[in-house]
Amino acid sequence: MNVEAYLVPLAPELILLIGACLALIVGVIKTPRQMQWVSPLALVVVLAALLATWRLGVPDGSQGPPGLWLTSLTFYTRCIALGVGLLIVLVNWHQPVAEERGEYMAMILFSLLGVLLTASANDLLVLFFAIELVSVPTYVLIALSREDSRASEAAVKYFFLGAMSAAILAYGLSFLYGAAGTTTLYAFDEGAAVSKLAFGAQMGSHALIGLLLVFVGLAFKVAAVPLHVYAADVYEGAASPVTGLLGFVPKFAGFVALVKIFGACNWELPNTVYWMLWVVAAATMTAGNVLALLQKNVKRILAYSSIAHTGYMLIGLLVGPVAGQGPMRDGVAALFFYVAVYGAMNLGAFALFAAFRTGGRPMETLDDLAGIAARAPLSALALAICVFSLMGLPPTAGFLGKLYIFSSAFSLDESHAFCGPLIVLAVIGVVNSAIGAAYYLRIVAAAYMRGEVDESIPTGGRPVRWGLALCSIPMIVLFAWPGGLANQARNATIVLHDSIRPVHARLTTTTDATEHQQQPAAFRPHQAPRRGAPGKPAAP
Amino acid sequence: MLTIGLTHYLLVAAVLFCSGIFTMMTKRNAIGILIGVELVLNSAGVNLVAFDRYLGPGRVDGQIMALFVIVLAAAEAALAVGICINLYKNLATVDVDTAATLRG
Repeated sequence: MNVEAYLVPLAPELILLIGACLALIVGVIKTPRQMQWVSPLALVVVLAALLATWRLGVPDGSQGPPGLWLTSLTFYTRCIALGVGLLIVLVNWHQPVAEERGEYMAMILFSLLGVLLTASANDLLVLFFAIELVSVPTYVLIALSREDSRASEAAVKYFFLGAMSAAILAYGLSFLYGAAGTTTLYAFDEGAAVSKLAFGAQMGSHALIGLLLVFVGLAFKVAAVPLHVYAADVYEGAASPVTGLLGFVPKFAGFVALVKIFGACNWELPNTVYWMLWVVAAATMTAGNVLALLQKNVKRILAYSSIAHTGYMLIGLLVGPVAGQGPMRDGVAALFFYVAVYGAMNLGAFALFAAFRTGGRPMETLDDLAGIAARAPLSALALAICVFSLMGLPPTAGFLGKLYIFSSAFSLDESHAFCGPLIVLAVIGVVNSAIGAAYYLRIVAAAYMRGEVDESIPTGGRPVRWGLALCSIPMIVLFAWPGGLANQARNATIVLHDSIRPVHARLTTTTDATEHQQQPAAFRPHQAPRRGAPGKPAAP
Repeated sequence: MLTIGLTHYLLVAAVLFCSGIFTMMTKRNAIGILIGVELVLNSAGVNLVAFDRYLGPGRVDGQIMALFVIVLAAAEAALAVGICINLYKNLATVDVDTAATLRG
């Protein structure tokens, strides 16, 4: 095995890693002249990683080192994480004002690297560490984001809850290891990928405890009830540009990890897990929306809205993958589509707060937002697009995302054991979207209908405004042409379908050397419609 | 004569886990909470090594994972100290109840 065969398929990850280390090195030289090179460096690194992703194309599952399995899911995650990562770098361009910008940008790049590795992980150990690589830099980001007792309080709250969830996740994974007897997610036998966590719906107590604890551990990352309590305080305490990152990066990684673990279980979940997820999804949506109604601080409103959105995404997770279908019917594809759209629209809303100051402090409350439309019409328009998208109004991509999620639940097969409860859940989701409109409209109304209370001064500079524009314009464009992203989201779920799981040859695992073969891989084509495989419905 | 089996190790780990969660819930001092986190991480480590021992001969996966969990615990402890110092600089305390200015 030559070195290139290991390294080349991981080019985007390696570029991010090298770039993050470079940013750390540049960060050591704390002169103002060096500082201004850090943000462009981070931008170039993310662009280079995107370029490498594009050059490599969709991995065929046959390359890469042991412990990783590079598939269409990797490709989708790379595109989305790096695409939104680009916007994150733009929005964070002038953050922090103090001299730690090198470390700061390095942490953003490390966090993105964690998301990429989560999608490729084929081993519980790699998965756990990838997830922690996402989270650990975010603790640092919050603490660095501003020199303020509120930021350090937010960092403490986020860190300790995060450390607790990481420990619970580790405990849960230890049970999954005990039940499966291996840390591998998929082994490759006779050229086919075999799920190693396929316990069946009548799984033993170790597997059940493991799955429940893993879900609790990951609930923190995606901000689901009951581990959502940190969201509002942390969002308020951290600087706005970081908050945009917090809403997307850990959530995306958490959902990818959940999809990977449930996928490795062949989506055969016991009723206990299904009902728990059902209750969590319903509670997350409702708690997020109802609590958001009570808030005055826009960052707190958006924090609760982020919780509510997690609830909608959980519907997609519950519906599960449906082979050979687009996001209209395939819950996981709908989830992937939604999380990508959510990342951009949420970041866009926070980008506006990064771009203006009122009364000598960063913009935060509805009063601060008042009259922004008269002062900065274009920025206000971008905010309105993002907020309407969060609300789920056409013509924005947020509408399509919600449509996909809900229609995937409504179009479930009658024979699906959870058809009824899932339709009820989707109805709860629709009702919740209507409740959500109330507080989203307050944000838009404050920007457009009220006179200026305190003068708002643009501080963000050009990159932040570019970031804001690049968050909002795709919302409209994706509404008109959702096909590309929807197709990629569907392709990303291919690996989850048992009957059509890509053939794979070379990946070795440390547990069982006989489980891998030496023949070259033959990967099925990614165009789902031509595949025509029967595909088994995701029966619990 | 009682033979020690897998269940006993799992029980020890479960006790560690519960103590850790209880510590995190009740301690108000940031360092105390960190100790709780370490207890829970160590319960995962005990579990992994015990499963390794009793699932069959010649297994190392769990031991490797336990080693990495220890590495993570060390990394988190370093970060925790950094974050606590940051809090101490701003509030002159590491009591997490004092840090309660962010309210809805």
